[in-house]
Amino acid sequence: MQLASRTYEADSIASVQELYHSNGWTDGLPIVPPTEDAVRACLERVMMTPDQLIGIEPVRELPITAEKLAINAVMAGCLPMHFPVVVTAWMAMMREEFLMHGATASTGGCAVLVVINGPIREEIGALGSFNALGNSDRGTAVIGRAIRLCLINLMDVRPGAIDRSTLGHPGKYSYCVAEDEDDLAWTTLAEQRGLPREASAVTVMAAGAPRQIMNEWTTKPEEILETFAAEMRANLRHYSIHPGNYALIIPKQLREHLQAAKWSKSDIAAFIHERARIHRREWADVGKGNVVRDRGDSVYPAMQSADQLLVIGAGGPAGGFGAVIPPWLGDKSYAVTLPIGACVDCEPPPSVKGSVR
Amino acid sequence: MTTNFVSAAELMAKVLGMPGYDFAIIDHPVSSATDAGLRERAIAALKQGSAMLLR
Repeated sequence: MQLASRTYEADSIASVQELYHSNGWTDGLPIVPPTEDAVRACLERVMMTPDQLIGIEPVRELPITAEKLAINAVMAGCLPMHFPVVVTAWMAMMREEFLMHGATASTGGCAVLVVINGPIREEIGALGSFNALGNSDRGTAVIGRAIRLCLINLMDVRPGAIDRSTLGHPGKYSYCVAEDEDDLAWTTLAEQRGLPREASAVTVMAAGAPRQIMNEWTTKPEEILETFAAEMRANLRHYSIHPGNYALIIPKQLREHLQAAKWSKSDIAAFIHERARIHRREWADVGKGNVVRDRGDSVYPAMQSADQLLVIGAGGPAGGFGAVIPPWLGDKSYAVTLPIGACVDCEPPPSVKGSVR
Repeated sequence: MTTNFVSAAELMAKVLGMPGYDFAIIDHPVSSATDAGLRERAIAALKQGSAMLLR
């Protein structure tokens, strides 16, 4: 398997690091040297040739090849078993509805949240339990990082270059979570979005930082979910009024209360859709009175429809915590879910309107 | 283009194969500008746009 990329010689691990840092090829952290053997091993894992076209970035018409993804995946610390997730995530990000250029260049500073479902979670040891949104496991750490390094090196999404983020957030180093399917009585996120449970899948979402909530003082679904909805209302007031894909991360303790009451993910989404909305006049309460004008009575829901809510079971077993992950800019970018291992030359799976994107 | 985004616009013009692509530049930011400030920006954009078109 002949690789096309230029090669460099370095006589020590330290000189490798300086080579990559001085050329702006990193996220500031040390990288794993992408040797030819390591890159080939990733490509062999997905049965792709180096010049296999993953997609063409629509704004700049940049072709993205499997070899370039593999190089950056190795740099991020990926083993071959992690690479199918990286490839599929990139295929999802290049779908038109994701609006990759806008989502990665915007001053809004979102990151690409990657959610993993299916059997591949067990294969890579990403189980979505303790510290699910942090440094929970090797797989999610390196997959999320690979997405960022690919953006930096393949799309020039560097701070001050294409990346115009005012603040960004820590998820721009790595933002990947596996759903806790081992302990999930609900449908998985991928099932919600039209895929069979036995399929491994990736969902990508242009996402703000997680906003953590806590409610340990009730077992009633309505009260638990009201806390999530309140955080979403706060986001509508303090950040953006645009409706779009929000994600809820629901760990085991709160999940058990909801499941004991026989609430499904669809029930949760319907409740949240009804409760997570504000009147435009509320903007005056948070210093944004200038844009209320004569539309104070207009109602703004967090989502256009209930199925825009991504409900994800993940997190450690104890603690009445949860998280709301808001969208980058409402309906400007839609979450995309794709199965892992599908033929890259095949048509994408059929979309379900308002659900699978 | 507002002043704070000039470098971004120049970079995008370059990567899209149109280095030196000309554009009107107005003061940043627009979103909090007063009506008078918006008027000034509109006039500034008009003047610059006219100069480009009539060059």
